Order: sequence, then structure tokens, then C-alpha cells
Amino acid sequence: MKKYKLINHVDYWMDNTKQPNTVMLVEKSLHIPFDPDNTDYQQFKAQVLAGAELQDADGNVMTQEQADDFIKELP
Amino acid sequence: MTNAVSLAQQASTGVSQGFKNRIINGAMVIAQRTTSAVTNDSSDALYPVDRFFIYGNVNSKFTAQQNAGSVTPPAGFTNYVGITSLSSYSVGASDTNTFGQPIEGFNTADLNWGTANAKTVTLSFWVRSSLTGTFGGSLLNSAQNRSYPFSYTISSANTWEQKSVTIAGDTSGTWVGATNGVGIRVVFGLGVGSTYSGTAGAWSSSLYYAPTGATSVVGTNGATFYITGVQLEVGSTATSFEYLDYGRSLIQCQRYFQSVGTTADIAYGSSGTAPMRITAVNNGGSQPLTGWQYPVAMRATPSIQTYGAGVAGGNFVTNDSGSGSATQSSFSSTDIGFKGCRINLTGRSNSAYQYWVDCGTGSGQLGWTQSAEL
Repeated sequence: MKKYKLINHVDYWMDNTKQPNTVMLVEKSLHIPFDPDNTDYQQFKAQVLAGAELQDADGNVMTQEQADDFIKELP
Repeated sequence: MTNAVSLAQQASTGVSQGFKNRIINGAMVIAQRTTSAVTNDSSDALYPVDRFFIYGNVNSKFTAQQNAGSVTPPAGFTNYVGITSLSSYSVGASDTNTFGQPIEGFNTADLNWGTANAKTVTLSFWVRSSLTGTFGGSLLNSAQNRSYPFSYTISSANTWEQKSVTIAGDTSGTWVGATNGVGIRVVFGLGVGSTYSGTAGAWSSSLYYAPTGATSVVGTNGATFYITGVQLEVGSTATSFEYLDYGRSLIQCQRYFQSVGTTADIAYGSSGTAPMRITAVNNGGSQPLTGWQYPVAMRATPSIQTYGAGVAGGNFVTNDSGSGSATQSSFSSTDIGFKGCRINLTGRSNSAYQYWVDCGTGSGQLGWTQSAEL
């Protein structure tokens, strides 16, 4: 099963807030944007809902419930 | 024949100017990812040439490669995709081994599929196999709940034969119109199980990738299946292949995939001494930043894969004006658009320095790919 890690976007121009807006497929160093038209993004959402590992931007592994909740909030 | 007459005749018969073939890279000329053989992987579609995928749900049943076997292509062509079976695999009911291309909705919307005005199309291609018999494939919609299995016969082993299949457009179902989604998925079967095989020559609301009873390429160890000159056009007759110049084919392919410095494709020099260099500035945050504008706008926001020394996920070196350097295995590109992206060189925080990375396949050099495939 694939492993994914969220990557934070840092808003340098405003207040340095951090918000994930891409996810990395770890084994391929593949940065996937949160774009519903991107097929890797579609696959990422499906795989996480099917049990693939999702780490937050600090590398902490999310529980399946946390991952499911995160995926449901995505576009 | 005058130009006026010619144009009038073409208009009356529906012959278009400039985009007859809805398939991109049908002559199998462009291969940006690799010219080496790729082996089917159940977790991902792979691309032996641009725009054409292979997929098999059981690992390592076949390979695909541009010009595999080094046979002479059909007259008028210089390239083909060669598929080779790696074993004598007996396909299970739900197995799928396929080769094909999804066509973007913008390029099929005028066919009016899913309406009473659906246009007839003709699929033509050159094929050569070590096997003979009935082969097939299918045309499908984006949701894969409409499919049209088609069959064709290969009569002589190891001989190029041109085939054509005429398909009345689907007047039912939901077909993606003028959007960047999948308009039509064209699939060739290489060994498809009974679950995904159906009656040839008829539209169905089931998911079929091949006609019932088609020859399984993966069923014979060492069997070959070579293909080129794939064309999907409006009308009930196969016309001559629309051969595009290399530059235009490359631009068409770059809408879906681009690479920078993953092969010897940029300024590099014979000894690696003159690579393309990207520079970055640190604006006081924790990451030096730079930008990259794509040569061609992409279909959607692409996924970006980093390379170091020509290896996916490999290490590359970020240098700084303080004579320091740091080895990294990935840059953080958290701002990606369909026309360009921002590259963040993570972990370099001295705002007094300037930073640079050399791009290419040499030691410590950076490359990356951008994929917006359908």
C-alpha cells in the first residue's frame, strides 16, 4: 500500500501561516496538487480511503479516522 | 480540382482541416519518459511512449517499449510500440491487460456522443504479432459505463497489417463534452478476462475492454504485439494517417507530460560542465524560492516528481554563495499551477546567500517531471 505525506504551503507574504496544499507520494517523491482534475490526486484520495498511510506535514501518521476526515474536506 | 471544390467536398463529407486524428502521438514518435522497456505494474499505468499507457492488474506479465525487437516499421512510419509477453499466463475472469489512450474531451466534443447526432468514427492502425487470430479492444466513456468492444483479425504472423474498425457513435450514455476530462478511452486488449469481455460490434452499458474470445497476448510466453499508426477520425472510412511534424507532436504531448533534466535533454555539455542552472533567493523565510514557467500549458495542475542524478527521488545538491552546499532528495513545490510552479529549495535558511542548483543527469544535478495525464 502506498504512503502519502502532506506538504505545507507557507504564506510568506502574509503571516507565515502553514496549510497543506500538496501531498507527496513518498516512494516516488511525487508532489501531487490538490486538483480534482489531476489523476494522481484522484488516486490519492481513493487509496487513503482504502487504507493507505497518510502522514501530516510533520511526518506523524494519521489514524484512519483522521485521514478519512481530512480527505472528506478536500476538493 | 480547384481549392474551392476541394474545400466544399471536404465540408460536405465532414473531413476536417488540421486535426483529423484525435489520437495524439499515433505514430509513436514521442517518448519523453524512456526508450527502455517498461514492465506492467498493477499499481500504475505506465507509458512506453507519450500518451499511450499500458496496464495489467497482475504484475510483470508483459513489457512495452518503443521499437522493441527492432523490426522494420510499416512504410511511412519510423516508430512503433512493441509489447512482449513475459510468460504463458492464463488470464482470470477479472484480469485486464491493456494498451491504449484516453482522449481529452476538448478533442472529442464535436462528435456529439450521447446525443441523437452522434457521429460515426473510424479507428485504424497498423499491427504485427507473432500470434494470429481474432484480437480486439474497446472504446469507452469517462465513467466506463458505456463501452463498444471491437474485433479484428491478424491473418499472418510477424507481418504488418493495417486494420480499421468503423463505429457508429453512441447515442446513449453520458459522454464528457468540451472539458479537460476523458472524452473517449481507446483500449486494445492484450489478455482480458471474461468479466470485462463482451459482444463485439455493439454498445453496452457494461465495462468491457475487449470482445469475448479475443486472443490473449499474455497467454503465450514471448508473444509479440507491435502497433503504430493509430488514428481515430470522423467518418466511416479510414483515410491516410495524419503524420504531424515532430515539433507539433511534442507540443501536443507536453500538454500531458513534461520533463526537465531527467534525460540529456538540456544544456549539459559532454562532461557535465555546462548544465542549466536555476537560481533561487531567500526572502527571509526558511526556503530559497524560484519559479518555473512550463513551455506548454498543461491539461491540469501537474504532479511533480523530482530526480537527482537522473534517478527518481535521487539526491541533488543545492549550492550557496557562502561556498556551502547541501544534499537534498526533493524540492518542495507546494505552489503548482497548470502554467508554472514555484520551486522551494527546502532547508536552506541563510537569507544573506544566493542559491543555485544545476540541472541534468550528472552527479548532484536536479531534474523533475510534470504529469497531467488523463
